[in-house]
Amino acid sequence: MASTATPPVQAPAPVSRHGGLRAGLAARGTPSLIAGWMAALVLLSLAWGAVAAWAVEQHSSAASSLANADAPYSFDAQQLYLALAHADVTITSAFLADSQPLAPGMSAPSTLAARQQFDSDVTTAGRYLAALKDSSGSPAFTAAVARIVGGLPRYEGHVHDALSQYTQGFIPTGDSFTQVASEDAHLALLPDAKLVYQYENAAVTASKNQATSLPAIVGALLVAVAALAALLRAQRWLTRRTRRVLNPGLVIATVALVISGGWLAVTFGIAGADLSTAIGQGANPAGWLAQASIDVQQARGDSIVNVIARSGSTALPADAASQAASVGPGRGSLLDMAQAAGNAQVTPLADAALSAAPAWYAVNNQGYTFGSQHDYAREQTSVLRTASAGYASVENDIGTALGAAQRTFTSNAAAGASDFGSLEAIVIAASLLMAAASAGGLYRRLREYL
Amino acid sequence: MNVKWLCGELSLYATKEAGRRSLDDNVGIRRGRRLTAAAALLAGLSAAGLTAGCGAAPAAIGAAASGPAGTASAVGQGAAAGGAGATARTLAASPPPGTITEDGSTLLEPLMEKWAGAYHQQYPGVTVKVAPGGSTKGINDASSGAVDLGTSDAYLSSGDLLKNSSLLNIPLAVSAQSVLYNLPGLAAGTHVRLNGVVLAKMYSGAITTWNDPAIEGLNPGVQIPPVKVAPLHRSTGAGDTFLFTSYLSTQDPAWSKSVGYGTLVAWPAVATAQAASSSTAMYQACAQTAGCVAYNGVSYLGQEQNLGLGEAALQNSDGGYTLPDPASILAELNEFVGITPPTETISMIAGPGAAGYPIINYEYAIVTVRRPGSAKASQLRAFLDWVVGNPAAAGLTSSVGFQPLPAEIQTLSMQQIGEIR
Repeated sequence: MASTATPPVQAPAPVSRHGGLRAGLAARGTPSLIAGWMAALVLLSLAWGAVAAWAVEQHSSAASSLANADAPYSFDAQQLYLALAHADVTITSAFLADSQPLAPGMSAPSTLAARQQFDSDVTTAGRYLAALKDSSGSPAFTAAVARIVGGLPRYEGHVHDALSQYTQGFIPTGDSFTQVASEDAHLALLPDAKLVYQYENAAVTASKNQATSLPAIVGALLVAVAALAALLRAQRWLTRRTRRVLNPGLVIATVALVISGGWLAVTFGIAGADLSTAIGQGANPAGWLAQASIDVQQARGDSIVNVIARSGSTALPADAASQAASVGPGRGSLLDMAQAAGNAQVTPLADAALSAAPAWYAVNNQGYTFGSQHDYAREQTSVLRTASAGYASVENDIGTALGAAQRTFTSNAAAGASDFGSLEAIVIAASLLMAAASAGGLYRRLREYL
Repeated sequence: MNVKWLCGELSLYATKEAGRRSLDDNVGIRRGRRLTAAAALLAGLSAAGLTAGCGAAPAAIGAAASGPAGTASAVGQGAAAGGAGATARTLAASPPPGTITEDGSTLLEPLMEKWAGAYHQQYPGVTVKVAPGGSTKGINDASSGAVDLGTSDAYLSSGDLLKNSSLLNIPLAVSAQSVLYNLPGLAAGTHVRLNGVVLAKMYSGAITTWNDPAIEGLNPGVQIPPVKVAPLHRSTGAGDTFLFTSYLSTQDPAWSKSVGYGTLVAWPAVATAQAASSSTAMYQACAQTAGCVAYNGVSYLGQEQNLGLGEAALQNSDGGYTLPDPASILAELNEFVGITPPTETISMIAGPGAAGYPIINYEYAIVTVRRPGSAKASQLRAFLDWVVGNPAAAGLTSSVGFQPLPAEIQTLSMQQIGEIR
């Protein structure tokens, strides 16, 4: 740590091995070389701060966005779809059941309870719509939300028209309004809600990729390595040239770099682990389960639409088979992937849904078979009564599993986002300290020549 | 060397970032990019040092931070076509020449033939080929594109629309369905009264002879011959079957529970039952079978009466008995005009009209909104506009016992026709 006023030794300029800039500086002697080192170290120090702060900002912003905006919006969009689908299934089932004579031993369904549930679902959908409407600036997204906002009152109007006709005893007219309402749901509202969910899900994927991508952190660490090499090289050159053992300024800069670089690497490691858990055991299974839930709702809605459909032919049985294959069981199916995600809370619930699903599919298919045979009464009993328990069981298991996956995601993503803490300020402060210390240390040597 | 490599990496990352930001622009940029002032200052300072070795890298970073790059995401592409509603259009003075192929309702066939002839007379360059294959075939052929125009007595089912969401059902006229019988010896001018419960029992085999007390109870003072009931129904998918079974389902819970309604139903096994493949075959078969009871569109009433078939007075929801004449059809129709939705999908069976006839319906054109060629779309729009709005076409409807559309329904139909592109 010697730093005295010993007169400098006027050593001859070394022969340049690296051409250009250094040769020019060398030609002007040691002061020029010291000034060159000073400029290079200051620039590298500031570059380290800028790149590291940028990398931290990118990752912490993405992690924060993932935890606090994208994932919650994706959840809202999924709940919007499910609320609309549930509203349609609830009211259509109730109307169809109420408009038909009851089989012996069956109790009358409560249209009042169904209407209350329908109103509650529509209110819920409206709440999620309000939360989502400004979540994206995409014109297509905004248009889809606007169509839902405009279509929801129209849909409710058709439902109330149906109710009015049923109440007056005009069953076929009520049925036709139920059909119009259900078509509104299946051809307009639900596809738009699905589009909204896809947009939100794409935002989650983008944030996931950004939060866990490597180029930014690798770039920052490479700058750190370059800065460290330059500091050591400068120290060595200075020792040889000025016969000082250590330059305090360069030592301080080196220590600041090592600490801030190490802090950055460790923080990224911890945050990466948290985010990896959040995504692998939370976001990914939540996404699969959400899609499974949507498919299940669609399969249920389609089977009910088929009960209404009394003219023409339909492709709904083929769609049901496709939806069943997508949901699972089966290798690579949505429930299969969720079950294998390694989340201890999700796995047993996905297992339960996988166990219950085949029985529900069988009853569902039986309904389609009755429909194709024009045995409408048995189709209706099969779909509205027999299949409802299986549907409720599968949907309940998926919904509960989805909740567990979302909780896993939320807690780990929040931890991953908070891991970055004040890292950005630390690397900036460290880089400023490095620049100042390098400049100060070398300036003291330089001043000896002036 | 290292600096150049680093700059290359940064440039690559910036390019990737630009792509990701582009997606963000599609999915919505909502994150505050809080680059602190200090970091920005550092970035600015260090940029000076990096620029010499990096060249394009900062520019790439700058590009990444700029506005949307215009890349469309996969999820965004499906929504582009939505949102177009009915738009105003200018009808060509003369429609493009060519042939319009039609298939569907046998009930509508007599009127469609008249429309086709009159339209060809007015526009010799356009021919409308009429093929009565039944409503179900008409819907399927229109959906698959096998014909330009389908026709149906029944509106589209949800299943049809889920299969092909570009289909529209557009009312062209108002029809009614009559219930026929072949009762030799019945006094001339007598219209036997029937209701849905009795008809359901006749079709399910619970009533086997015409002089059953249930029928006689509805017809005090009428001498009904003791012939066996021979229920006649359509063998293929038919809008007529949809309308008739809807009426039975409305009036008879047992029928609703056991059979229901549809263009095809599982008819109860009755020894004397017969099936016919078309509207024409229906009245011809009925005319050859004493004791027959059948259903058919009013457009065939003239031929049926010429063959000596009777026409039943049906009980409406108010308890009255009516025949399908213009007054009773309009009385029933008036109850539905105000509540017909923009899609014009509505059942008008057993409505509230006290003086109304209980089985009336819109006769629908089934078309796909998007046509492969604009000339075909123009042809279809011109023809359907003419059918719905031209007085000459409206005048032909009464010749087959139909009614022209009321003004409000004409407007809705015109709006739907305008969607054909």
